[in-house]
Amino acid sequence: MESSRDDFVIAIRSTFLKKGNKQKFSLLSLILFSVIFLILGNFNFRIINFNKTIIKEIIYFSSFIVNLPENTIKNSFNKVSDHFEHYDDYLIIKNKLQVLKNKDLEKNIITYENVELKKLIDDYFVEDKQAYAKVLIDKESPFLRSIVLNKGSRNGVKVGMAVYDDIYLVGKVVEVNFLTSRVLLISDINSKVPITIQPLNTQGIMSGLEQASGQLQYINKEELISENNQEMVVVTSGVGGIFKSGVPIGNINFSDILPNKKLIVNFYRDFSQLKYVKISSHIKENINIDQSSKKKFRASNSKITEINSQAEDIKVLKQQKNINDEIQLKLQAENISLKKNLIDTQEELKKSIKLIEKDQKKNEHLEFLELNLLHGHKCRKSFFKSQLYKIKTNEYKACVLRKGSIKKN
Amino acid sequence: MSDKKYLLYKYTPLFLLFISILNEVDFNLEFKYFSFNFVYILIFYYSLRREGSIGYILIFIAGLFNDVVNGLPMGISSLAYLLLCAAAAYLRNITLRPNLFKDWLFFLFTILILNFVTYAYLILFFNYEINYFDQITNIIGTFLSYLIFSYIFRFYDDFILGRSD
Repeated sequence: MESSRDDFVIAIRSTFLKKGNKQKFSLLSLILFSVIFLILGNFNFRIINFNKTIIKEIIYFSSFIVNLPENTIKNSFNKVSDHFEHYDDYLIIKNKLQVLKNKDLEKNIITYENVELKKLIDDYFVEDKQAYAKVLIDKESPFLRSIVLNKGSRNGVKVGMAVYDDIYLVGKVVEVNFLTSRVLLISDINSKVPITIQPLNTQGIMSGLEQASGQLQYINKEELISENNQEMVVVTSGVGGIFKSGVPIGNINFSDILPNKKLIVNFYRDFSQLKYVKISSHIKENINIDQSSKKKFRASNSKITEINSQAEDIKVLKQQKNINDEIQLKLQAENISLKKNLIDTQEELKKSIKLIEKDQKKNEHLEFLELNLLHGHKCRKSFFKSQLYKIKTNEYKACVLRKGSIKKN
Repeated sequence: MSDKKYLLYKYTPLFLLFISILNEVDFNLEFKYFSFNFVYILIFYYSLRREGSIGYILIFIAGLFNDVVNGLPMGISSLAYLLLCAAAAYLRNITLRPNLFKDWLFFLFTILILNFVTYAYLILFFNYEINYFDQITNIIGTFLSYLIFSYIFRFYDDFILGRSD
């Protein structure tokens, strides 16, 4: 028992204290040294920070140099694959361009209006400082998703500045050295970005989940499900003042929203392909604008007013045209019905005239018959009155109508 | 053995260590359910099988490099790597007849303790949020990959030295 404990002690001692042939330090001393390094790292001593910055600068650049061959191979491969996909992309882009051109005019008007409205509520930000930087290292650590840029405090980069790829949000600066800086990507689990889901205008917080997606927190899923939108866009809300509002981040597919699953945001940008990024900070627009800006502002304002009034006019004219069309249609219908009525009336009139004529003839006949009964004997030819007329002759009829008086020639 | 072969034999572990730390060819692959820590495997294997092939000071410096590149508090990876070296040295001291399977299990035990120390330090002192699922897959991946890489390293050493079983 005692000998086994001795063996263990000997093995441990040998492990930690024994120096190899060319080892200058024992393992124990180096372990202690790294522990001291860690403890000192927690304190904000100027000398330690200075040394850390120097070490970081050296390592970042050596890492960049070591990465060069691999990056060259990667870029070549990407170029070849891009070439093969070029034509397909061209056709897709052509179609998209056509669609986008159609939307462009509408978008311009909305942008003008948006700027005006933001100015009205004092929420219009302009870029204060900006710098374009190259990505030196984008190593994906299991602990931290971050990138290192080739711009540091020498170029005016400060902690907290927002980083964009084109117009899309990439992350924020969390560490600044003299020549380099580190950016915490929004795909990192420690990254918390205040967001708004459009078009619902729902507020929430997004943290990183995977390389190409983030997770939404503090959001009522049932509200999203009830809205039944096919695609929802996630943009920054501007709460907290670190990011300006309305910067696009990604989208949510309605089919992905399930009650028992995480709410996932698919990023617009692939953060593993970042090469150049824009670092910028924002301030509220200065109210004391110069004369040229005022002129521009007035010009754009009048343009908006003009466009709006034209749009209103067009709207009114369209409404008038619609009303006129409706009236015309009604008149046409009335005209047709009147024509029909006229034809019917004419036919009825003809029938009535015929009936009247018939009645007149009947009346004449009845009058003749009446007179015939009273005065027929005065006109009827007989043995004794041979100068009178035969029945059914016109002379007889005329004699009856004269009430029996004989016509003298 | 010629000078060139000797140099290749001697400096390959060192070269691999620094390239894998500084280069973007890392082993946190794009797969959701698989990743492994190549540096752990490399250090453990060569500390165990070829004592002194990578000096402790160089391992310490490599740890610092790794911390800077990954944005971790400086010194934490050095501590982990040196503890890994210590575990390998202890195993070497108590082993009379080397056995790959026993090494493999001891490696699992060691990386579990190392990761526990690392994560505990990051969480307690630096308030890091850690995705435990990713870390578990990383540990399992590292453990499984050790066997494959130990065969590869052994094959490479035999090839350089011109040994054949």
